[in-house]
Amino acid sequence: MVHDTHMSQYIPPTLFHTPTGTWTTIAGQVTGTIVRHLAAADQSGLVTIPIIIPSNASPQKGAYLTSIEVDFEILIAACDALSAVVNLVARGADTAVAVVTAQTFTYDEGHDTAAERDDLDQHKMTLTLTTPIWVDNDQYVLVEITVDQALTTQVDFLGAVANYTLRL
Amino acid sequence: MGYIHDTHCAQYIPPTAFHCVTGTFTDAAGAVTGTIAKHRAAAASTAVINIPIMLPSNSIAQKGAYLLSVEVDYELLLDVATSVTASMNRVTRGADTAVAVVAAVTVTQDLAAAVAAATENQHKLTVTLTTPVWIDNDQEFLLVLTIVCGATVTVDLLGAVANYELKL
Repeated sequence: MVHDTHMSQYIPPTLFHTPTGTWTTIAGQVTGTIVRHLAAADQSGLVTIPIIIPSNASPQKGAYLTSIEVDFEILIAACDALSAVVNLVARGADTAVAVVTAQTFTYDEGHDTAAERDDLDQHKMTLTLTTPIWVDNDQYVLVEITVDQALTTQVDFLGAVANYTLRL
Repeated sequence: MGYIHDTHCAQYIPPTAFHCVTGTFTDAAGAVTGTIAKHRAAAASTAVINIPIMLPSNSIAQKGAYLLSVEVDYELLLDVATSVTASMNRVTRGADTAVAVVAAVTVTQDLAAAVAAATENQHKLTVTLTTPVWIDNDQEFLLVLTIVCGATVTVDLLGAVANYELKL
């Protein structure tokens, strides 16, 4: 049996879901890095990060999701606001809709105030689940980041890392 | 050194990983708040969606992932489709200077292509390999969803889940 409490999964920015705003795939601020870049606009938009960790049909096996780290950079000007939501999606059976349940989490101490999340800087924001989740094969997890830009704010999303325990 | 043979593994594949051609596809919020979709606008044509099956592979025979089935979550909106048909390709990667080689993999789908799979509704389509496959490190598997659309129907692709055994 495997029971590894230190597993992580990198989620590249190319998998991020970016429905609002003008997004492009460009080089990061540091040469050799990649980002999904949000162009300047005075608007509020949503970025959703699909958590692509293994799941399992057996209870308490597979991945036990504990936290998610999101790497992003706010450029030119601070955002008006930035916040996160962690959603557990229970997939629907055929002809049935999915059911979404928001999960309780805490921000790391460097992001637990609004001013810390939206300032002009590089960010590594950690979202720690209050109650970690065994991810069933009929479930998946999505992290929503709401970005409320000021007129000149640009944002680079570099990627995310999901931290979990793997039991097989 | 341990030994793993878990027969209940699954992997969520987000819609942002899908390769979509023929039609206008955009990132959009899903019909259920908190979900994400790759949305196809209405157009009377045949959409082809390739879903890359992102599982661990292994260069040792009969190790790594043994692919059993793939479930695809999608929604047909505003109208029925003419048909929704699943197929699968195994892509054997080419050596340097050589092309890849594609072979069809025999599959069955639980919803009839022109009937149950094509209704205006939420769908969970299960595609089962007639003969499951061990995924070699020189191979890729693509689930191909072919949706014959009339002028009115729109499509939301919510994601997919690959079911597999893992032997390490």
